[in-house]
Amino acid sequence: MSTQPPGATPEEPAWREALRLMMPLSLGLIPWSIATGLTMRAYGLSEGEAAAMNLFVYAATAQLGTLPLIVAGAPIAIVWLTAAVLNLRFVIYSAAISPAFHHQSWARRALGSYWLVDALFIVLGPRLTAEPDPERRWRMFFAAGLWCWWLWQLFGLVGIFGAEWLPRDWPLTFMGTIALLVLLVPLVKEAAMRVTALTSATVAILAYDLPLKSGVVVAVLAGLAAGGAWTWWHARRQGA
Amino acid sequence: MAEAHGVWGWGYLPIFLLLFWATWLTRGAFLLFGEKVRLPQSVQMWLRYAPAAALGALVAPDLFLAGGEVAFKPELVAAVVVMVSAAFWRNPWAPFALGMLTLVALQNAFPG
Repeated sequence: MSTQPPGATPEEPAWREALRLMMPLSLGLIPWSIATGLTMRAYGLSEGEAAAMNLFVYAATAQLGTLPLIVAGAPIAIVWLTAAVLNLRFVIYSAAISPAFHHQSWARRALGSYWLVDALFIVLGPRLTAEPDPERRWRMFFAAGLWCWWLWQLFGLVGIFGAEWLPRDWPLTFMGTIALLVLLVPLVKEAAMRVTALTSATVAILAYDLPLKSGVVVAVLAGLAAGGAWTWWHARRQGA
Repeated sequence: MAEAHGVWGWGYLPIFLLLFWATWLTRGAFLLFGEKVRLPQSVQMWLRYAPAAALGALVAPDLFLAGGEVAFKPELVAAVVVMVSAAFWRNPWAPFALGMLTLVALQNAFPG
């Protein structure tokens, strides 16, 4: 992705440039938000609860990943840790995009933290860190952030209220599994990620009966250990 | 499937308010605090693996376990369809449509 895309002129308003860049990838949010809305209802959340989850958590993976745990009555600490682990990729995004937020007020950084989503980081991250004018950086981020947020809330409601219209016997909770699988696909193109995911999947099955749904935590740690060990072993072999 | 709380059920609201902090603080880690801190390479690697580890752990029980026992499930076939269509087709609707259709078709073809 070039930092000065074709068609960009110095006079182009910040919001227009941001939306033009965001448009293709942000439309991919629509099936996701509808699927998340449907899934929340399928797990038994009320319309109000589902809308509140979209509003407060605003993170598809963290929402879809914690729903089975919440409904099963898992301890809040396990639910919270799962959401945080699912969101750990944002710590990297946060570190990478933070130069774009230098010299911004705390309120802007707080709103930026709420609005930082995958599509926004992937599309705007390189552009923002290359933009010298802090005010233009903020305007671009604001337009893109508001756009993604609005799309997510609106089509989330389509899913939440549309759930009524779909056949009752459809296994709609599977929509959540589909969304998580779609996210897994680009990751497992890398061998170390395959080792990580296969290990955590295997341990999750073996440790399924552990009390308090703690099998998820054990599985994640096992996956991380396996991925790390694989990388270390691979690096050592190449070095030798 | 769990029983709905009704349109105005708010039983889960406190959980969502707590989860807000989990997602806001991870996204804000470097925007809110330590802007000048740099992550060591090893930590970055470890953070990069976390989603793959979490996703693997979360989807596996749905694909391989029935009532706590390992079983061959139509969900597994549907999952393969989902992953293949997501890998080779850029249409963002395809995995959802094909995955659901596969699962519904298999469940109707082999009830129980």
